[in-house]
Amino acid sequence: MLTQMHVRGLMFDPYTNAYIVILRDESNTEMLPIWVGKPEASAISFAMEGITTPRPMTHDLMKVVLETADAKVISVVVTDLKDNTYYARIHLLFEDSEYSIDARPSDAIALALRSKAPVFVNDNVIRKNNSEDMDRWLENLKPEDFGKYDA
Amino acid sequence: MESTLIKLTVQGVMPDAIPNSESQVVILQDESKTNTLPIWVGVAEGTAIRLALEGVIPPRPLSHDLIRNLTEQLGLTISKVVVTDVKNNTYYASIYLRSKQSDKESELTVDSRPSDAIALALRTSSPIYVTQEVLDRLAPENVDPWLKMLGSKEFGGTV
Repeated sequence: MLTQMHVRGLMFDPYTNAYIVILRDESNTEMLPIWVGKPEASAISFAMEGITTPRPMTHDLMKVVLETADAKVISVVVTDLKDNTYYARIHLLFEDSEYSIDARPSDAIALALRSKAPVFVNDNVIRKNNSEDMDRWLENLKPEDFGKYDA
Repeated sequence: MESTLIKLTVQGVMPDAIPNSESQVVILQDESKTNTLPIWVGVAEGTAIRLALEGVIPPRPLSHDLIRNLTEQLGLTISKVVVTDVKNNTYYASIYLRSKQSDKESELTVDSRPSDAIALALRTSSPIYVTQEVLDRLAPENVDPWLKMLGSKEFGGTV
């Protein structure tokens, strides 16, 4: 099952020195944070704020290459989460055929925002995200945190 | 008017000579090493070019790897990239794509920054050209410092 999500914001994470893209579903019940690098974060923020640069940036070029070739971005899907790495696929329509191309979510989202294509997240990723967060919490718990309940 | 094209190869990516500058400089030269073209690029684009020069294959596709994968999947081949113009210190480039749509070949041209064009050319083994006009407009004082650096130890002394 896929859930459609929207980019709600961009945050700076001082601990990892990276940026976090916040995706939320329509009803605001599901939230997915995705860590991205600085250039990808600025590519996403330019698109969110509708900033146009005098020269095409990398994701503008990506969009124009596809447009020039008459390929249409149908959707992008965040498909998986493995070892803290998110995976995405870009779905294209080209000459009556569908194509699906592996991408980092950051590139996929930067392209989706420019091509006005919807962003979907696989429900497994939303669930995994919650359980991996839980794992990280448990990893960070020190032995003394458990000690309190020792008889 | 068709302008004369000179084939260039990327010699390297260097930090800008100006301290605290966020830019990097990509050095291109023709085969006879008589023409040198320095192009200022951002950190992200400089890194994208350096990784391709060093043949690094990242675990996940970076932005220019993705553009290459997208074009490959759609059966588009990048025939060449050309640095076409320089206006107010901004360089312009074109990416030439060949598409094979139902047995009919057509050539598409896309406007690009030279940094993206070069990063893509290196990933697709496509030739890089510059127009004679752009070379004619280069001021020697902009080129000479980089020629010196190319010969220096720091840069591996490739010249």
